[in-house]
Amino acid sequence: MISIALSMLFLPLLSAAVTLLFLRKNGNLASLLSVSTAGGILVLALVLIFSDNPVPLAWDTTWFAMGGWELRFGFLIDAPAKLLLFIVAFVGFLIHIFSLGYMADDPARPRYFGGLSIFMFSMLGITLADNLVMIFVFWELVGFSSYLLIAHYFKTDEATKASRKAFIVNRVGDFGFLIGIVLTYWTYGTLNLSELADLADFSPNLATTGLCLALACGFVVKSAQFPLHVWLPDAMAGPTPVSALIHAATMVAAGVYLLLRIDFLFTEEALGLIAFLGAAMGLYAGFCALVQRDVKKILAYSTLSQLGYMAAAFGLGAPGVALFHLTTHAFFKALMFLGSGSVIHACHHEQDIFNYGGLRKRMPITALTFLIGVLAISGVNFLSGYFSKDAILLWAYNFNMPIFVILYAGAILTSIYMFRLYFITFEGKARSKYAEDAKENSFLMTGPLLVLAVFSVFGGYQSLYPDQLGAYLGPDLSAVSLLPHHMWMIVLGTSAWIIGLLVAKTLFSKVLQDDPLARRFPAFYELCRSKLFFDEIYQIYLSKIQDPLARFIEVMELLFISGLMVRGAAGVAALFSMLAKLCYVGKIHAYAFWFILGTLGFLFYAAGLVGN
Amino acid sequence: MVFSRHPVSAAMFMIVSLVGVAALFVLLESFFLAILQVLVYAGAVMVLFLFIIMLLDVGPEAGKRKLSHFKTGIFGILATFLLVGILLILGNSYDSLALDQSIWPELSESKDGGASQGLPFSTKVSSFGYGLMTKYMLPIQVSGFMLLAAMVGVIILSKKTPSREDVK
Amino acid sequence: MMLSVTPQHFLILSFLLVGIGFLGLLIRRNVLLMLMSLELMLNGINVALLTFSRVGGNLDGGIFVFFIMTVAAAEVAVGLALLVALYKKRNSVLSDDMGLLKN
Repeated sequence: MISIALSMLFLPLLSAAVTLLFLRKNGNLASLLSVSTAGGILVLALVLIFSDNPVPLAWDTTWFAMGGWELRFGFLIDAPAKLLLFIVAFVGFLIHIFSLGYMADDPARPRYFGGLSIFMFSMLGITLADNLVMIFVFWELVGFSSYLLIAHYFKTDEATKASRKAFIVNRVGDFGFLIGIVLTYWTYGTLNLSELADLADFSPNLATTGLCLALACGFVVKSAQFPLHVWLPDAMAGPTPVSALIHAATMVAAGVYLLLRIDFLFTEEALGLIAFLGAAMGLYAGFCALVQRDVKKILAYSTLSQLGYMAAAFGLGAPGVALFHLTTHAFFKALMFLGSGSVIHACHHEQDIFNYGGLRKRMPITALTFLIGVLAISGVNFLSGYFSKDAILLWAYNFNMPIFVILYAGAILTSIYMFRLYFITFEGKARSKYAEDAKENSFLMTGPLLVLAVFSVFGGYQSLYPDQLGAYLGPDLSAVSLLPHHMWMIVLGTSAWIIGLLVAKTLFSKVLQDDPLARRFPAFYELCRSKLFFDEIYQIYLSKIQDPLARFIEVMELLFISGLMVRGAAGVAALFSMLAKLCYVGKIHAYAFWFILGTLGFLFYAAGLVGN
Repeated sequence: MVFSRHPVSAAMFMIVSLVGVAALFVLLESFFLAILQVLVYAGAVMVLFLFIIMLLDVGPEAGKRKLSHFKTGIFGILATFLLVGILLILGNSYDSLALDQSIWPELSESKDGGASQGLPFSTKVSSFGYGLMTKYMLPIQVSGFMLLAAMVGVIILSKKTPSREDVK
Repeated sequence: MMLSVTPQHFLILSFLLVGIGFLGLLIRRNVLLMLMSLELMLNGINVALLTFSRVGGNLDGGIFVFFIMTVAAAEVAVGLALLVALYKKRNSVLSDDMGLLKN
């Protein structure tokens, strides 16, 4: 079993190495290799999941040792790991196939597919890792591959800036994560997840709020939660399949997954904070999404909002529900991103939704599957999003009323902006030449859409999950089913999406070139457009505080390190070299003379005539 | 030797002094080394020198004019007298050219070439062989390797390298 | 008064040989002659070594002489090869014509 896990982990690394080293010129071969690697990963993952081995399957070996301290390299494959493994392998494989169509005419395909393979490698690493250091290593690797793929169109200014922004913001959060790891090691003396779980069970008072908040920094930045969410919307500058895979389905979900892995370390206060932040994010991102014009940015803010739901569920003590929502979200958000990718591809990389319109007739499969995604995320009854989101809402309703109110408002917003997106894009009349000429894409791209649509419809039925995948969800979900107010919640949930549908229908079903919101509620529109000035606040912080500090340090560095130490040392060396140059006369006789003189001096010294 | 400007005459003087050193080796009862000295130095090395001198056709260094034949003759005669005088004085002063046993230690000639007592001084060639193959095993390997390296180096150096004109 | 040959005589001779060799190294500008002077210096050292060997009753010095001869032979071969190669380039065997690094 371990050999299967190991080969699954290192297969994409091998593929990436081969692609990036040898196939830089051969796009077809590189994409085929990468896709078949993804297929291989899927097969191996299924074998690993459905083979009957002990749960959890733990294995480790020494990675390297320094003195008495050693770093372990190991796997911990328990129920949530299996579920995430399935999501990563399955969605990853579909997105690889989609990329074949989407990237077909891109000249830099080897770089793209190599980056995807690196990402698969590091994401699998996070999924399987059994200690925090390993998680951190792969954590940085996904950050790196994300950076690589965001900057795929590095010739555009937007993409390079976005990739740098993502990278730097990630560093900030990962710094907190690293501090958390060090604190954990200091407190518990181990970083292994299972050992930590045992220790935390025996002495719960060891877990301190500061420690788990530091660890949660990793989650905050990777899942783009407040206040480090600014990178995710910009990250949409990358190719659309990348946005679907990394910035919607898997990598951002890794933050939530990290929380699940270390949930035993969290204190009440920290959980409350995370729940509140998550709920606030759900609402805030909803407002932002409401006024965006770029199809991918709408989806990005929607991702932020859904991640906020997961964080809220986790913070309210229902990690199983959070993972459940993560699963369904992975399906329908990947579906919608791929759908938008299909639209973008058909419209020659036009991304402004006000330049679309009337695409339903021209791209029926895309429109249908996209509609399924919209319905699922809005929580329409008996689709996947209905089960997972309403489970979170019901849980919040029973345990924390303020958070429920925030989340419920977020749910209404979600359905408004999702239907807005659907109406503006697919209904009405075409508003640009590209939209008029749009054609349905090839089966390479619609195929994954159809598969994901099926999963988006049925992904919510927990009883359909095989035992190996659903084991972790079971307890929390049955707890949900035992909660009171079920009927009330169905009414509330249904009314939420119906309100959203009606609002969107009145406002957006007949739109012209500009946004009706901007016309009717200009103040509200502007406020939402500004995204609460986060980018501006960071900008001010950078220019007013960080830059002067950096300049001050630079002067110090010039003065002391560069001036005194580096130049000073060079000056001393130059002085000696000038002295040494005097001895250099260019006559062999002179050298011989000095040589003999030296020998004689040595002789006299040895004979005791001079010195001592 | 060092005062002669012409390389060939310098080499001739050099051979004389090398043979003289060989004679001193004989005096020190180290016959094997004396033979080697004559063979290697006077034979091989100096022949090589002369060969190169002729190959390169090196003339005398530029400098002061040569002494005339007359002056050379006078100096030659004076030198001959000097030599004869020295030999006479030496022949009268020293009772023999053999080493005085009171100052120089006696040689111990054991049958195994001194294998049992370290490496005592001996006139036998076999003692040399014994020392070289036992105590100085590593140095002799190294020097063999050095000779090989020198040979390879010389071959490479003397290969015809393309001069600048050929490259053009 | 009868004189006899003492080790001191040999050592003085060896010193003289080295000195003469060194003098040659200094005053000659022909690289061939400089090489010869080096040989002469080595010979002086050989004499000293063998004298010590004989006085100490120990063969180690003799073996050292043997090694020095080996090295000297190799040195002469390499040195002369270098000289020939240089002569091909410079058309001269004078050390004054060989300095390239200065001036």
